[in-house]
Amino acid sequence: MKAAPTLRVLSLLLCGLLAGCGKQPDLVVYCSLDQEFAEPLIQRFAKESGLDVHVEFDVEAAKTVGLVARIREEGSNPRCDVFWNNEVAHTAALGGDGLLEPYDSPSAQDLPPLFRDPDRCWNGFAARAHILIVNTKLADPATITSMWDFVDPKWSGKVIMAKPLTGTTLTHMAALYLALGEAKADEYVTRIHELSKTGAVDLTNGNAAVARLVGDGKLAVGWTDTDDFAVALERGAPVVAVYPDKEGCGTLLLPNSVAILKGAPHLPAAKRFVDWVLRPEIEKELAFSRSAQIPVRDSVPRPDSMVSPGAFKPMTVDFKKLGAEIEKRADVLKQLFVD
Amino acid sequence: MSRPLVLFCTALLVLAGLVPIVWMLARIDGSDLGGIFDARTLSLLVRTCWIGAGSAGLAFVLGLPFGFLVARTDVPCARFLRHAGLVPLLVPPVMLAMTMVVMFDALRGPGAIILVLGVGTFPLVAVFSGRAFERIDARREEAALLVGGLRSALRMELPLVLPAAASAACLSFVLAINDFAVPDYMTSIGSKVNVYADEIFASWQSVHTPGKAVAAALPLLVLTLCVLLPALALRRRGSLATWDGDFRRPQPLALGAWRWPLFALAFVLVALTAALPLVRLCWEAGGGPRGWSFAGFGAAFARAVEVGRADLQRSLLYSSAAALISLLPGLVLGHALQRSRASAWLEPLVLAPLAVPAILFGIGYIALWNHPATGLFYASGSMVVLLYIGRFACFPIFAGAGATAMLDPHLEEAAQLANAGPLRRLTGIVQPALRTSLLGGAALVFVFGMRELDAAILVPAANGTAMFRVYNAIHFGRDDFVAALALLIVFFILLPGILWSAFGRERWEAAA
Repeated sequence: MKAAPTLRVLSLLLCGLLAGCGKQPDLVVYCSLDQEFAEPLIQRFAKESGLDVHVEFDVEAAKTVGLVARIREEGSNPRCDVFWNNEVAHTAALGGDGLLEPYDSPSAQDLPPLFRDPDRCWNGFAARAHILIVNTKLADPATITSMWDFVDPKWSGKVIMAKPLTGTTLTHMAALYLALGEAKADEYVTRIHELSKTGAVDLTNGNAAVARLVGDGKLAVGWTDTDDFAVALERGAPVVAVYPDKEGCGTLLLPNSVAILKGAPHLPAAKRFVDWVLRPEIEKELAFSRSAQIPVRDSVPRPDSMVSPGAFKPMTVDFKKLGAEIEKRADVLKQLFVD
Repeated sequence: MSRPLVLFCTALLVLAGLVPIVWMLARIDGSDLGGIFDARTLSLLVRTCWIGAGSAGLAFVLGLPFGFLVARTDVPCARFLRHAGLVPLLVPPVMLAMTMVVMFDALRGPGAIILVLGVGTFPLVAVFSGRAFERIDARREEAALLVGGLRSALRMELPLVLPAAASAACLSFVLAINDFAVPDYMTSIGSKVNVYADEIFASWQSVHTPGKAVAAALPLLVLTLCVLLPALALRRRGSLATWDGDFRRPQPLALGAWRWPLFALAFVLVALTAALPLVRLCWEAGGGPRGWSFAGFGAAFARAVEVGRADLQRSLLYSSAAALISLLPGLVLGHALQRSRASAWLEPLVLAPLAVPAILFGIGYIALWNHPATGLFYASGSMVVLLYIGRFACFPIFAGAGATAMLDPHLEEAAQLANAGPLRRLTGIVQPALRTSLLGGAALVFVFGMRELDAAILVPAANGTAMFRVYNAIHFGRDDFVAALALLIVFFILLPGILWSAFGRERWEAAA
């Protein structure tokens, strides 16, 4: 190869790099709900609205940290209009840091107050519950009613949870501090840590792995989310979901949250999208999807297999406060569990 | 050496690989450094070092003899074994871990982590040492054979090959100490083994003290550089220069009675590390534990092609473009590393992008490129290409440097005396001698680009890559779809190598 052709090829490649810069869309959505479920909905919105919608997803491995980190980094020059998060604590934290635009969507008026930001920076809908998955061949679900059963010595070596460093498990542990108070929550977290040191509690990388290991019969009981439980059930695993602590602090419900970014480049389109996604019809579709998201509106129809309103006690959590505290809790949990 | 070309390539490397890192390091202030060396983090570091050393050791022990066997001996099916032996490097390590656990349920704990990471990176050592063995002049080898047979030839060749193998083992070490998915997966049941990469990932929750998260990455960065730099110094030794103007390619060494037993050993290694993961993926694609069927297998592939076609196209485009463009810095900076006095400071700069944790690199890209003036570029696929070049250009650069070390400098001096300019010498003498090594390095850029997720996850356009689609589908138990798409990715990664091996290599080498 001679020099001139080499340089020509490289010039072409560099031109290609520059030509790869595309045009601006009408709306940019960052979405951490699984692509499998969110993509068809967003495509439908694009078709109905006639807008060119660009959507970017997170992957489970990043536990929402990927998109949240990007939103924070892009804060001075936002390119995202709407953040559709599959949990709420990080959204609330973004709101607390002034990165979200208040918007009182007409579609959100019938949402329960627990799932609405008082400042209207975000709204929650279509929730997952953080539950105990029980393999019925290895344990009697009737004997497991409380979160404290998880740390009972009789289940030593048979229980598992995700490491409480990211994702919904971190949110759950942080929420316990608000629901139970410092002392009780500390006691629970410390017990789990001590038991994990002896192998009495197994720790894995995510809730999907928990559901799989319990479903496969490797372990008897685990903390997981209802969407991961639904997958285990679909695979034919002998599992049931226990919504613990009807008499105690209740079961944590983690809604999807949707928010408009402060300085969103396409604000009118962003408001249209938020109005569209917060409609009861979308909650219903997500309830009947494979991810089995629990509607937060009691009036929204749901599959027969899904837990009905009143069948469990939702944990009462001030999500705004949770968002403000999550970083502090994450640091404490890191000191404990990454050793 | 052409100074403008060196400057251009250095500028490209600085822009793509170093500025994002410097941008992030600038966030650290003095208070962020407190506590990065407390008892907890030190214990994590020590454990990570043991795992890295074990993995690199295993990769070395497997890779060096394997590289020798398939590159230099008359072992049966050498070419097939050589290509099949690359597969473990192409499969994401966590998939390898899943395969191992399915096959051997009791495989848990630190030893299992070392096994998976060592097996996943042994092809690096095999490729590097295989190439080094091939560069030993036939006359040297024949002389050694005459004196004392195969044993004597090996005694002469090993010192020439060890630096290349050690360099690759160091790369294996780097990959192992930065991985947290495999340690996590292999200790899901039983005593947990945390590694330092867990600390870095968890530190990114500290959104209000970003300098702290960057500071947390420093020990791993320093450790990586401390391991790689001595290995590169070894490679620079003058004793490597075996390729001069009348270089003669050595003939395959006859193994005699050892031919079939050694083939059996190499075959078992390939079967366990390369075939098993692929067989498992085929099994999953056809239905797995729910019952395997051809119909299910076909349906999974049809769905993977339908859903993942555009993602695959983008992955191939980004990775190929990055691999092609990185040939230029590979040639120019690879040569400069070996021949110029700048190598002492150039080497750490070339290595730094690979040594920093992926998440830090990705966030550095956001901070650097997300501005109104560069908004279109930031959101485009070109940004992904630049990220791949920045992160992986060290492979062709060091491949080029390694090949330059074996090129007799008198050839270039003679050309200079004949009034050939720097560009002419580079294209007429250096490039033909380096091109197979450069292509090998570019192939690594392509491979790592195809399987990249951790840094790319933070770059907008990388959302549309095949690996991103795979990891999205894993969460929802789409085992058949995930397996089919993973097989397609592996196929497309292997395809250039297969085509090259079938049609291109001999013609190219004959021309050289």
